[in-house]
Amino acid sequence: MTLIAQYFVTGIVTGCFLILATIGFSLTRRVEGFLNIAHAEMLGVSAFVTWGLNVKLGWPFLPAGLFAIVFTAFFGLIVGRIVYDPIRRLGPAVLLITSVGVAYVIGGSVDGLVGTGIRSLDIPLATTYRFFGVRITDYQMIVVALAALTGLSLAIFMTRTKTGLAIRAMSDNPGLAASRGVDVKQTSRATWLLASGLAGLAGVMLAMIATLSTDIAFHQILQILAVAILAGLGSLYSVLIAGLIVGVAMDMSVYFIPAGYRPLVAFAVVIFVLFLLPEGLSGRKSK
Amino acid sequence: MNIEQLVLTVLTYGCVYAVMTVSLNLQYARGGMINFGTVAYFAAGAYAYAIFTQEAPSGLDQYAFGFDAPWWVGFLAAGVASLLFAVITGWPTLRLRGEYLALTTFAFAEVFHSFLLNERRIGNGSVGLSNINRPDFSAIGLDDKYALAAAAALLLLLTALLSRRLLASPYGRAIDAIRDDEIAAETVGKDIKRMRFEVFLLSAVPIGFAGALYAMITTLVSPYLFTAEVTFFVWIALVLGGEHTIKGVVIGTLALVTFQEVVRSFHFETVRAAEIAASVEHVLTGAIFIMILRWQPFDRIKKKEAAIKKKEAAA
Repeated sequence: MTLIAQYFVTGIVTGCFLILATIGFSLTRRVEGFLNIAHAEMLGVSAFVTWGLNVKLGWPFLPAGLFAIVFTAFFGLIVGRIVYDPIRRLGPAVLLITSVGVAYVIGGSVDGLVGTGIRSLDIPLATTYRFFGVRITDYQMIVVALAALTGLSLAIFMTRTKTGLAIRAMSDNPGLAASRGVDVKQTSRATWLLASGLAGLAGVMLAMIATLSTDIAFHQILQILAVAILAGLGSLYSVLIAGLIVGVAMDMSVYFIPAGYRPLVAFAVVIFVLFLLPEGLSGRKSK
Repeated sequence: MNIEQLVLTVLTYGCVYAVMTVSLNLQYARGGMINFGTVAYFAAGAYAYAIFTQEAPSGLDQYAFGFDAPWWVGFLAAGVASLLFAVITGWPTLRLRGEYLALTTFAFAEVFHSFLLNERRIGNGSVGLSNINRPDFSAIGLDDKYALAAAAALLLLLTALLSRRLLASPYGRAIDAIRDDEIAAETVGKDIKRMRFEVFLLSAVPIGFAGALYAMITTLVSPYLFTAEVTFFVWIALVLGGEHTIKGVVIGTLALVTFQEVVRSFHFETVRAAEIAASVEHVLTGAIFIMILRWQPFDRIKKKEAAIKKKEAAA
């Protein structure tokens, strides 16, 4: 019983990480209107910037992580402006395929600069706490706390600030939003900053809780896709629930079936959802 | 570097991959279906060939089936396996559109990959199957490597001819009509779901054959050969060649394979240098890909040619 509870708790942590990783992806899908396969590579960029500053240059973890998040946010903005903006008129399918090319370029660059091998940050070992026999480390608790905080602040941002409202208006009806005086370009820029910044945050978390290898980013995209589809492409709040479901389902499955099938569970969820609830949890019709 | 070897490698692998691009061209450029799981059909073919021609398991072997059949049985089995996989994946997914279809086929391919990796009874799990039988080419008096290159070229030729014939027929025009305007096509009585399904199945068969050929060439199947990378490679080749024309996608694939083989044929002194070369290859591939999608040079050439023809016709 304790073992199941342990898997459940680990699943919650995985889920919280997936929430952080997916929100930016869903935001891009909603405002820019396409699936950005290269989103996961942004996690990799951020994770390795953190690693480079922390291990190679000896910065403390916190400033290294913050710098990585800011760097990734602006990097994402630049990629969005240079690569995706000029081809938006060609439609979501071309954008989706282009993002595969972007993933190649970013993944290849990270590979070339960092090299293969397994790495970890220069931070103190995790301290393990026990609650009723269930173990959880302090780093895991940070992930959970940050996911909760991000969900909350995103909700406030989206409903209370001008930029947030503009983003929502634009995602619902770009033409109408533009004619009502929303600055479409600026809103698009804000979205890229926000989405990439969130990817940056997820990347720092990844660097903190996992050992890093350069192919790590690609493995994330599979899970991000799973969560985004379960949530209903482009919806934001249901990502919170979908992330937890996928995380818990993946980690709990280890109790019943061989651990090698763990990623497969995420995709079983995808296939299941697409057949039964094609609109995802949110029930919103995607455009 | 050895030029003859390079040409032969490019020809062999290029033709095998081009079979996939031509099939994908049929699905995407003509049928409007984004299949992001191409590798799974390829893998299904390769594994089917391996399993059918493999000797029955003995000793430390963990795979459960080996029929020790002649190569042509395995080859046919590869086509059938790919077709069956297309039925299983296509039947439920084809009612999905655009990106949803892309994601579901991608998901199916990942699930399949995961099965091959974890289920030892299929093909020894992560170890894979090695020493796969090749047909006996000495009977026709050719060296293995020439015979395989010729076989790949032949398969490509047949696939291209079939695809061209199909698209030039009234059936092909119906496919185009469905892609361009579903509602209009439906109004004139085309059964859209059925036709999309048929195109999907039809284009899966050559991919399965290509998989069998690939297994013959490498004499090895293992899950690590069949990753999403193959799918992306084929997609990049498709875009590189300028979609829509069979000639274009074949040239695109051959160009991409040549590029990769040339990069790989350099001799590197250190592991690190080889690593960097591999990443540079990745970056360049991606960058070329992005630029082609951005500026669409092939569409422009086509438009120019059309304009010239119009002028000539007018004069």
